[in-house]
Amino acid sequence: MLEPLNARSTTKRRTEGIREEGAGDRDLTDAGRPPDAKISEAEAIERAKLGDSDAFRVLYDLHKRRVYSLCLRMTANTAQAEDLTQEAFLQLFRKIGTFRGESAFSTWLHRMAVNVVLMQLRKKNLPVVSLEETLEGEEDAPRKEPGAPDPKLSGSIDRLHLQRALEDLPPGYRTIFLLHDVEGYEHNEIAAMIDCSIGNSKSQLHKARMKLRSLLKANKTEAAGKR
Amino acid sequence: MNCVEFQELLPEILDSGETAESKVHAHSCEECFGLYAELKEISAAALLLRAGEEPNQRVWNALEIALRQEGLIRETTPAGPTLVPARSHNWRLAWLVPIAALLLMMTSGIAIFQRGSEPQRVAKMTPISASDGTAVEDQEILSALGERTPTLRAAYAADLQNINSYIRNAEDSVKNDPSDEEAQRALMGAYEQRAMVYEMAFERPLP
Repeated sequence: MLEPLNARSTTKRRTEGIREEGAGDRDLTDAGRPPDAKISEAEAIERAKLGDSDAFRVLYDLHKRRVYSLCLRMTANTAQAEDLTQEAFLQLFRKIGTFRGESAFSTWLHRMAVNVVLMQLRKKNLPVVSLEETLEGEEDAPRKEPGAPDPKLSGSIDRLHLQRALEDLPPGYRTIFLLHDVEGYEHNEIAAMIDCSIGNSKSQLHKARMKLRSLLKANKTEAAGKR
Repeated sequence: MNCVEFQELLPEILDSGETAESKVHAHSCEECFGLYAELKEISAAALLLRAGEEPNQRVWNALEIALRQEGLIRETTPAGPTLVPARSHNWRLAWLVPIAALLLMMTSGIAIFQRGSEPQRVAKMTPISASDGTAVEDQEILSALGERTPTLRAAYAADLQNINSYIRNAEDSVKNDPSDEEAQRALMGAYEQRAMVYEMAFERPLP
């Protein structure tokens, strides 16, 4: 298991709409606090260390969506994502006694979830980072019919279409895109997690975005043709 | 800067921001500007995928079972000591509970018999100090546990500390109002729970 990188390292995690308040405080990972949560995250952590089942449930409810979404995106399989979510939280709760608050709890949990998923992908010999997939010029660009307009994407990307395109992305590209653009990890962090160079991480991310662009345009062209 | 150079630098531009040279080119080249804008929008739209789905309830159910099996979850009782189950589900040794409770009370210098005027009897009893005698027994239990299952020693120490605190509170209540039957029941219950902890300490199988 990779140890969490120092939370004080210079990172510019994209946290638009998401606020991290430091070690032990709840940072918003799921939309809103569960209505029945009567204790803070910090208190839940301390009580979980003592084996309080309610505290475990509070921590689980606070972070389940983020962890599950990550697992689901990286595996594109609901059953696997559920298993990995369970495993990530189980590992977290086993080690919660060692949490000292040097980093935000969500960061710690999230790192653990990423490691769990990556280990699973490696076990199944699925490519974590694709080194062979390349974009060769117009190879992956949408086929343009003579005289047909090139669909523009600006202002037309919604969650559903992006989700569909992501599912069609090769696993290696998908991992990089999820870690960087969705989850906000920096290239140096990604390189440490998946054991590649920073340059490789940047290169793969660019290819992932280009591939997504192609997929989104193809889907848009297909949708326009059906009307 | 030409289109090839611009598109080679595009990853850096998207991550670190435009340079003066790239800005000039982007403003003069519709294709490059369009490419830059679309990739930027894809990157920004990625946040839409964060924390979207909710896992099925069965994930928590399975997780809770695993946590209990590993002993990471301990039950809490609404009042009084936490982390001690209200009832032990293993009734093979249940007959030891009242005996253990009785022995504890005798060791602490109190004999409580439910005959005649209990309140007066309770009032005449020597006040119990949870530390009298029981601290020695606790240490013996914890030492033995530490040899058998060291990982659980800290948890049992915490349990006993809580129970002893509860016993002291219950004893104070009885002392202040010997006629308080609820306080007497609470004190009896506390002794029983203490006995259960002792029972669990030796009942728990080795990892």
